[in-house]
Amino acid sequence: MDKVVEACTRVEGRGNLNIYLKNDEIYQTELSFSVFRGFENILVGKKLLDIPKIVSRICGLCSVSQTIASCKAIEDLYGIDPSNQSIMLRRLLLSGELIKSHIMHYFFQFFPDLLKIFKINTEINGPYNLINYNPHLTTNVFDLIKIGSEINKLIGGRVLHPITPIPGGIIFNPTQKNLFFTEKYLKKGIYYIETIIENFIDLFSAFDPPTEYNLSNPIYFGLKNNMGFDRYQGDLRIEQNETTYDDFQVKNYSKYFDKDPNLYGIMFKSNLKNEVLTGPIARYKLNQNYGIDKIPEYLSNFGKKWKSNLLFLNFLQLIESYYEIQKSVEILNTTSLKSKTKLKQLKSIKKSNGIGIIEAPRGILMHHYHLNKAKIVDQVKLFIATEINLPILNKMITEYAKKLNEKENINSIKEKIQIMIRAFDPCISCASH
Amino acid sequence: MKLKFLITSLTTCTGCISTLMSLDIFPQFLERTKIEYFPFISDNLEIKECDVALVEGCVSEKNQIEYLQEIRKNAKKLYALGTCSAFGGILSLSNKKESYPISKFVEVDGIIPGCPPPSILLGNCLLRLVENKKIKLSLKNMCSTCPLNNHAKLDLPITIEKIVPRNDEIRFPGENLSCFLNDGILCLGPITRDGCDHLCINQGLPCEGCLGPVSKGFIANLINFLSLFNLSKNLRKYKGIYYRFSKSHVGGKV
Repeated sequence: MDKVVEACTRVEGRGNLNIYLKNDEIYQTELSFSVFRGFENILVGKKLLDIPKIVSRICGLCSVSQTIASCKAIEDLYGIDPSNQSIMLRRLLLSGELIKSHIMHYFFQFFPDLLKIFKINTEINGPYNLINYNPHLTTNVFDLIKIGSEINKLIGGRVLHPITPIPGGIIFNPTQKNLFFTEKYLKKGIYYIETIIENFIDLFSAFDPPTEYNLSNPIYFGLKNNMGFDRYQGDLRIEQNETTYDDFQVKNYSKYFDKDPNLYGIMFKSNLKNEVLTGPIARYKLNQNYGIDKIPEYLSNFGKKWKSNLLFLNFLQLIESYYEIQKSVEILNTTSLKSKTKLKQLKSIKKSNGIGIIEAPRGILMHHYHLNKAKIVDQVKLFIATEINLPILNKMITEYAKKLNEKENINSIKEKIQIMIRAFDPCISCASH
Repeated sequence: MKLKFLITSLTTCTGCISTLMSLDIFPQFLERTKIEYFPFISDNLEIKECDVALVEGCVSEKNQIEYLQEIRKNAKKLYALGTCSAFGGILSLSNKKESYPISKFVEVDGIIPGCPPPSILLGNCLLRLVENKKIKLSLKNMCSTCPLNNHAKLDLPITIEKIVPRNDEIRFPGENLSCFLNDGILCLGPITRDGCDHLCINQGLPCEGCLGPVSKGFIANLINFLSLFNLSKNLRKYKGIYYRFSKSHVGGKV
């Protein structure tokens, strides 16, 4: 048996592509991580108020999601809910993070691949070529990344590893100036994201996406909220198809999936026929309606072939960014935001299990902390979107590699498989917590 | 003449690179430099000669040492980007995993500290590096410019009872907030380098020390600092109050 290892580029974190060969035939392909940091162990024995600050350091792109999931888990232990104002501010922070994370991936990591897949431009071989490919698009991208960062700085106190979200709410002392600037940035952002979406439609919607990127009936997994598309709260849904699904409360999760904190990977327990997918595509399938006027019009540029194809994820990243900007403007226009927040007191711990869940940019993120009798954290389980998506990713890249093996050499296979890995937008930092 | 840059990560959250990419000057930075190696956004995996290497993340795996040495060989200047790379970082809290600053294995020409480095500090450092100048860091501690400095009337020794204020105790500067140490809340400002514009303190929270020590004499400073306190019983055995972001191997030209 031979193994070919190639370091992945243009992905978040450090990952390797492993290709296993038997008699020159590819029989398995996987994305692997070279480093595990052991955050689940680090957190054992830590003071509850310390935990959000530590888990933030799991990931520099999803630090807001990690911090807020952690705060929610701790609030669950204390049996408190933060004020509506705090929740609105947390949503704003999550939006800032999503915009930055999605747009960075879309442009720097995947746009050159999209141009290559559809044979529009195969010459982009570095960031310098990329930013000069379409300077107008580049300007809009940089401005949107800046908007995401600015929101996080104004509301979170720092561009990443936010300071303000704490168990009990979010520290916020608004000034007219910071509210004014946040709104001003966001309103400009609507124009920028519209331009990027229209550019995507112009460039790619006339093509059929390549069939090797087709998703063959994955199980969609995400938050389901009666109010519609929502990344902050809701019940969980595992959907096999539109008529077969399980809805359950987050506290009952272990009936459906679980993990051993000392082992790698998340096990789904029910008799699922296919692999599970979480993230933008699952959120779209589970909710369909984003509740924003222009979005159905944008989506109507793409037919069924696109909507069951992995490459659609990259269009949905733009749609979600658009949605979050619009929602953020709505939040900013509510009057209750304009006063200083009141934090809930952390009086006494009510439970021994605390669970906090949100939809991070790449999908479900759940923290579960268990306390011993002395009310000290003795077990931590972190459920990370990229870990959930790893089986479907590995299945798709293996199938694709086997198909390529018939007519292409190993270098070309490595390149094409890497493109497919990037299409998933894996967050290796999070997954190698 | 554009300088050649190499930007890469070891064991990290990628937060320093993501901060770098969110800077106002990042487009300008790409225009004014030649990126030789930057796996986060570029496909080239061959380490070539470069003028400036920026490395984020700590060393936690054996194979990273060789990689780092290869970078050092090829770089005229090598800078530690962020607190993990400069001091060991958050993994210093781990019982099971070793984490070291890069200066334990290679000579470092400077550090850009912070978790993540504050945008203004990082932006200024980058601009200087692009112009082939040395970077400058403050040589003062946080307290020297702290908005609460006037309120510090330390009555020694102080008993430290908490690592953060209670939710109902959180105040903002200007709202009768006094020095955290006065109130028995641990603030690492006295032994932490100035340069973040007091981000945490301006949100009503004490300094966690993410910018690291002001000078090489960190351990001596820390011991002096600790000698001013009594620690309350519940904190005495609590791990990671002072060393949250650093292993003791603090080195490099800072």
